[in-house]
Amino acid sequence: MSARGFGSVLSAGAVVGAALGFYLVSLRVASERASLEEVETRIAMTQRDIRLLQTEIGTRGRLAQLERWNVRFIRLSAPNADQFVDGGFQLATLVAPQQKPAIEAPVVLASAPVADQATQPTLTGDADVPDASSHASRPVSEMMHVASYSLPEKPAAAKPTESRPITVSTAKPMKAAAATKPVKSATADPLSPLPGTKAKAKGTAPAASAAGISSKPQPKDSVTD
Amino acid sequence: MNAPTPALVARPERLRLVGQRRQILALMHQRLMFGMLVYGGIIAIIALRLIYLAAFGDHAGRKGGEIDLTPERGDIVDRDGQALARTIDAWTIGLQPSKVIGNRLDLARKMAELMPEKDAAAYLAMLRSNHSFYYLRRRAPPGLVSAINALGEPGLALEREPDRLYPQTSLAAHVVGFTDVDGKGNAGIERAFDEQLRDPARRGQPIVLSISSRIQQALEHELNEAMTHFSAIGAAGVIMDIHSGEILAMTSLPQLNPNAAGQGTPEARFNRATLGVYELGSTFKPFTVAMAMDSGVVKSMGQMYPCPDALHAFGHTITDTHPFGRACSVSEIMMRSSNIGTAQIAAQLGKPRQEAFLRKMGFLDKVNVELMERGRTLTPGSRWGPFETMTVGFGHAIAVTPLHLATGYATLFNGGIYRPATLLKVGRDHPAGKGHRVFTEETSYKMRALLRLVVTNGTGKKADAPGYRIGGKTGTAEKIVGGRYTSAAVVTSFAGVFPMDEPRYVIVVMLDDPKATAETYGFHTAGWNVAPVVSKTVSRIAPMLGVRPDMNREPNMAEVLPFVQEKAEQ
Repeated sequence: MSARGFGSVLSAGAVVGAALGFYLVSLRVASERASLEEVETRIAMTQRDIRLLQTEIGTRGRLAQLERWNVRFIRLSAPNADQFVDGGFQLATLVAPQQKPAIEAPVVLASAPVADQATQPTLTGDADVPDASSHASRPVSEMMHVASYSLPEKPAAAKPTESRPITVSTAKPMKAAAATKPVKSATADPLSPLPGTKAKAKGTAPAASAAGISSKPQPKDSVTD
Repeated sequence: MNAPTPALVARPERLRLVGQRRQILALMHQRLMFGMLVYGGIIAIIALRLIYLAAFGDHAGRKGGEIDLTPERGDIVDRDGQALARTIDAWTIGLQPSKVIGNRLDLARKMAELMPEKDAAAYLAMLRSNHSFYYLRRRAPPGLVSAINALGEPGLALEREPDRLYPQTSLAAHVVGFTDVDGKGNAGIERAFDEQLRDPARRGQPIVLSISSRIQQALEHELNEAMTHFSAIGAAGVIMDIHSGEILAMTSLPQLNPNAAGQGTPEARFNRATLGVYELGSTFKPFTVAMAMDSGVVKSMGQMYPCPDALHAFGHTITDTHPFGRACSVSEIMMRSSNIGTAQIAAQLGKPRQEAFLRKMGFLDKVNVELMERGRTLTPGSRWGPFETMTVGFGHAIAVTPLHLATGYATLFNGGIYRPATLLKVGRDHPAGKGHRVFTEETSYKMRALLRLVVTNGTGKKADAPGYRIGGKTGTAEKIVGGRYTSAAVVTSFAGVFPMDEPRYVIVVMLDDPKATAETYGFHTAGWNVAPVVSKTVSRIAPMLGVRPDMNREPNMAEVLPFVQEKAEQ
């Protein structure tokens, strides 16, 4: 009797528990769904804001405005046909440095007098003999020159050394004169040259004003009056 | 109910009583059961409904509809997706005089301070009137809205309402069009696609135009500069892809700001590119030569025609601006833009063939494009005689829109196939229009060198952009003023194609009534005022369009150069 009575109570409790469990699951699902929807709403709101901001940026940076700035300040212009290159090779030719002799390994030509070479006995003693002979006649640096397209002009090379003092000497008086002049003018500027020119101007002014220049100041005076 | 019967066992009264009670009891049980069933049913229905709602229903916090991002009216974007027209929520400031509670005079003064378009007296009159509602400002700036809000007056209503905004302002204004206050399309694409833009099912997707903003801007800027420089009253320009018929840029000047379209003059609202028809003069000559070549009238670029200083025909005299005074070849006729030579070619071609060709090119009907603002072309009509055939040959007595001309040049240089122009981007959703053949491919090929010659040696030298191989034809047509042609007012135009060795794009520009200036030596012909616009515009847009400049490429000039006797002086 008693077991049967409890049995029904237990079964009723089980049913209630199951129903409650189901309800809790459903509640959980609903709350998850709600939070998902909230996220969706926020996404939509953000998208709306993005759209608004994009519209604003687009309006502020409209092409007509950019064009106006370009015409006034930036001044960019369309590239010319010459500014387009065919490929990497043509681009490289544009940035290639100026042709000049390689510094590390220059092609060095020796230009010792023929007579000296004839006296040299053999090639075996090369290292010692030329040194001795060249030292005797002239320094090595003078006999060697770097190969280049331009012809080395020996007399021209000799001349500058002679002419340098001359140019220096001519330059010096110029500099001296230039140096003295400012001193003079600095002291004399406010006094001597200007009064002279002013006097000249004053002397010529009446003639010029008679010719019609004076008509300009007059209206100005009348305006200020 | 039962008739009293003689009882044998029990007293009939008692029996009857027992029977009645039982019957009443049964009835009561029945009624009770019925009531319980009704209650149970109702409770079951409620419970079922609750279970259903818990399982499938919406919860209380759901915000339905508000987060819908579909705009009130569809967007219009250019081919790169840049917005040309958008609907945004704008603040509207309204006034409801009956709801005002504060001091009206003070309020009127404050309103006049914030919104100075009306004075305090006008605001006071509005506050004291019996109207229920006034619009004070539409599309109010946020600063003003917050200032109005700070007044704290319930009579001032702040509302958000959808508003059409054109972020690029006047860019492509005549293509995009504009809407009226109620958001209904009034011009351009806004008008032509009004239904689609309003349809809730379709307005989520923007309308993608074939227009490219950057190209449009380059064309508008250069054309506007020329228009102000030469004091022209108007200008129009079209740039088109000759193979697909897509219009990459189309403009009509003076400019119009669609954000305040109501403030624009009728002159500014007029679309010169599709609605205005003009006699476009010498730009027609290539068509005449191509028709003649297609019909076998002109067999070679070296075919000779007598070109006297003046040609008398049917009681009229045709003259040239650069007279030859000798026999000249077809190449020279085109290079020096000779009316006399072209008139003779047209006369040989004859009216029926000329009309048939023009019809196939769509020059006798309204221009075929999506816009509703399309002008009717003017033709000689019933008076189309032999002399009119001659004048139509060199572009007089026939008036078409600049877009007609662009379509015509596209037809001539894309291999000879007419394709209707389109303002929608050609792609999967919108295939290119169905075309039909007008000229043979050979004619189309031969015309390349001829038009390149005009730019290298002829009247269009100033249109050349180094490396871009522009070919084209200048046109200077006298305007009719008071019923007579006058040389004082002209319409100058240039129709060009580039790159000429493999044509891809056509550009048509037109200036309405440009004036001569000092640096044009008193000339107001097309070679002096519109040709430089083409040169500048093409050198800007060609790199964007993927046309690489190349100084070493040219069309096959051997087709025409042997038939040119001398270099043109100008």
